[in-house]
Amino acid sequence: MERLLTLENVNVSYVNKDKKVYAVKNAGFSINKGDSLGVVGESGSGKSTLAMALLRLHDESRTEITGKALFEGKNLLELTQEEMNALRWKDISVVFQKAMNSLSPVHRISEQVEDIYRVHEPHASKKEIEERMIYLLKLVNLPERVYRLYPHEMSGGMLQRTAIAVSLLHSPKLIIFDEATTALDVVTQGQILEEVVQMEQEISMTRIMITHDMSVVAASCNKVAVMYAGEFMEIGYVKDIFKNPMHPYTKGLLNSFPSLKGENETLHAIPGFLPDLSKPEPGCVFASRCPQASERCRREKPACQELKDGRQIACWLYQGGETHE
Amino acid sequence: MKRFIFRRVLTGILTIIIVFALNFVIIKMAPGDPITTLMGKENSSPEMRQALEEKYGLDKPLPLQFFSYLKTAATGDLGISIIYNRPVSEMISEKVGATVLLGLTSAILAAVIGTFMGIVAARREGGAFDAVSSGVSYAFNSMPAFWLGLMLIILFSSMLGWFPSFGMTDTRAGFTGAAYVLDVLKHMFLPVLTLTLVLLPQYFRIAKSSVLQTKNEEFIMTFKATGMSKKKIFNKYIFRNAILPTITIFGISMAYLITGVTLIEIVFAWPGMGRLVMTAITQRDYPTLMGIYLIMSISVAVVMLIVDIVYALLDPRIRYE
Amino acid sequence: MKKLSIKKIWKTITGDRQLLAGTIGLALLLLLAVAAAAVATENPYHYGKDMLVGLGENGHILGTNHMGQDIYSMIIYGIRTSLKVAVISALISGALGVFIGGIGGFFGGKVDTFISELINVFMMLPSFFLILLIIAMFGNSITNVMIVIGITTWPSNAKLMRAQALSLRERTFVKSAVAMGETKRQILFKYIIPNGIFPVIANTTMGMSNAILTEAGLSFLGLGDPGIISWGQMIYTGKQYITSAWWISAFAGAAIVVTVLVFYLLGDGLNHVLDPKYSRKRG
Repeated sequence: MERLLTLENVNVSYVNKDKKVYAVKNAGFSINKGDSLGVVGESGSGKSTLAMALLRLHDESRTEITGKALFEGKNLLELTQEEMNALRWKDISVVFQKAMNSLSPVHRISEQVEDIYRVHEPHASKKEIEERMIYLLKLVNLPERVYRLYPHEMSGGMLQRTAIAVSLLHSPKLIIFDEATTALDVVTQGQILEEVVQMEQEISMTRIMITHDMSVVAASCNKVAVMYAGEFMEIGYVKDIFKNPMHPYTKGLLNSFPSLKGENETLHAIPGFLPDLSKPEPGCVFASRCPQASERCRREKPACQELKDGRQIACWLYQGGETHE
Repeated sequence: MKRFIFRRVLTGILTIIIVFALNFVIIKMAPGDPITTLMGKENSSPEMRQALEEKYGLDKPLPLQFFSYLKTAATGDLGISIIYNRPVSEMISEKVGATVLLGLTSAILAAVIGTFMGIVAARREGGAFDAVSSGVSYAFNSMPAFWLGLMLIILFSSMLGWFPSFGMTDTRAGFTGAAYVLDVLKHMFLPVLTLTLVLLPQYFRIAKSSVLQTKNEEFIMTFKATGMSKKKIFNKYIFRNAILPTITIFGISMAYLITGVTLIEIVFAWPGMGRLVMTAITQRDYPTLMGIYLIMSISVAVVMLIVDIVYALLDPRIRYE
Repeated sequence: MKKLSIKKIWKTITGDRQLLAGTIGLALLLLLAVAAAAVATENPYHYGKDMLVGLGENGHILGTNHMGQDIYSMIIYGIRTSLKVAVISALISGALGVFIGGIGGFFGGKVDTFISELINVFMMLPSFFLILLIIAMFGNSITNVMIVIGITTWPSNAKLMRAQALSLRERTFVKSAVAMGETKRQILFKYIIPNGIFPVIANTTMGMSNAILTEAGLSFLGLGDPGIISWGQMIYTGKQYITSAWWISAFAGAAIVVTVLVFYLLGDGLNHVLDPKYSRKRG
């Protein structure tokens, strides 16, 4: 398996005057080509911040990033904006949450697609671009006529499919879905996820799925990384983690996660709230909500450990590979 | 789209009817009897009194009176000026060209320059240009246009002697051809400068705030993620989305513009409707005043209608409503 | 519910630059208006011997006009006229707007269709000419001027109030009042208007600026009240002497600019702090 992206020690913090608030701490994981990784966590857990940081789309005057994000050997966090621009959409593309606002409301899809395509292929003809886009529209089950429409003439589901098609224009090596299906109704969400998975059998694609919804991960990913308060709690294969969740937070998430058909979409089954990130405490970030927390958890932060099945976990319960089941 | 235009035209027609109704109510309610108001106090010709009474059907019930008033006005008959003893419509049509020249030039200049400045300020929000132009726009927004005109006369005419302070041409010189055009341009400079300066702030503000708002839209993030250059994103996508409110302002400011033009014409003795207003006021020439009010209201309604339709053509969201 | 302590108000005012500047400006203007007799050097109605005297001559700080009146004293007394016009006409306009817009938004249906169409139509009319026409025909007393400005400028207030009433109507506390059997009139005055009035207050402050400018414009057309001292009339009389005695018009206009600016700043500041996001917190 070939490595596509490796994160090492990535820290993202917001700087406001003299205050500094961590949004992501010590993030580390890796993705191979063809993987689909679900990054899951409650809102405010730093998952979207991490995605924006990888794309370098954050406000650079107010954000501080350290660490390494190696994409095919290049550290994304050290590239200049020009070098990033050469890479954007061609190698890494993104699908945002608010489909309704993700394209300009006063331009036709065709015009926007032409402009986006020509960022990397300045001499492409209109016909060439149209053919490419119509091929992609068919891939996401949309009719050809969508190409000539304005965004407001489509439903949320159609727009999100269009946004997915647009993200595939240059066959990028990595696509980041940033809560891309969250705003849709459950049925449409299920359909789109199914289509995406099916699509991946036709074209080779590597995907990061940012979501707060475990069911999205279950339906569309082979790996999962659970994030809490800016830190990764547990990372591993979906088949392992869903069958045998080990971190107390993962367990809580899985107990509360709604199925695709379910109605409850909140994660309130775990009592308590996210800790205040501007006042970091010495111990494990989850300790205040953890049903199994001990005195040590509140005092010392557990390091990330790799277990036998390849999963990584940051929890005192499993320190030294021992399992207290 | 068709429905939208239909609705707007209906509102336009309603506006015009209401303007007539207001005029009618004002004549009816004004102190003294309406005929004296229309004839002037010094005029006591019984023939004219009778002719007016018949024309407006003053012996008939109120709704019928209003109807005959509407009918007369619809034929373009706005009454006879008390002092000049000429049809009001004729007097207005003589003057309207000069007013439109002044008003339109200033409005277009203000819209173009104000929008441009607003965009520049928004690009570097909080920078020196933004700070200075925001402050200055506040000040000009608070200025009575006619006073600014007087101050510019003091500066550019009395002190520096660069530009003429009154009239539209130098009548004594009798210029023709290119020299005439140049002379008019010279006379236009100060009134146009004044009006542009007072109209500019609203374009500046709306352009600045809508650029700032558009910059934060989700789709701008999409374009950034595609690697598109900042220049292209700004020049095409931000600009096109941010320019729409400016068009609305152009319509809304018509009423303000027309007020400004009138007062400015008086300051600079520009031979337009403003002068007509001034003499009508001092001579208590009510038919002329009412005629001018009618014409101005109708033109504002029509211009706003056109602006709304243009807006609908530019914003696809309205087109398909 | 809402408890506005002096400390909290102070904090709000000092927290917004525009509001702070506007409040200080307004306080100064009020002070000058009240203490006009003490601040002015002469009786501004007094026709002195020094006609068209320049700046600083014979103890006239800002000179005199063609009637020998002291410009500086006239400017100080002019504050009274401007503030009076601003406040009274804005109150009339605000009250009408709140009432008409409140009824439209709260009652909805045909009443609302009628009222919102009326608002649309009146927003299109050049109100200055309507005011001018009425003043010319009904007489140019300052009372007339204030009333007419008030009754011709309500549409923008009504528009804001209508939007507020429309959204308030759907809120639970209004719905429960309906369910409790309170009459529509009670609900309108007890819940809709007090909770929706904040944006109208900010807009009314802006309206005060426009009232001052309108009064000045009317005076400039010779439609001012001859019995009082107003800055607009000073500009109007000074126009004839613009090349020889520029100070008559210049300072009166500057006074208008400052006063209007104060109200604009106040309005902008109020808009910031009375933003729905803020008022929701107290709701």
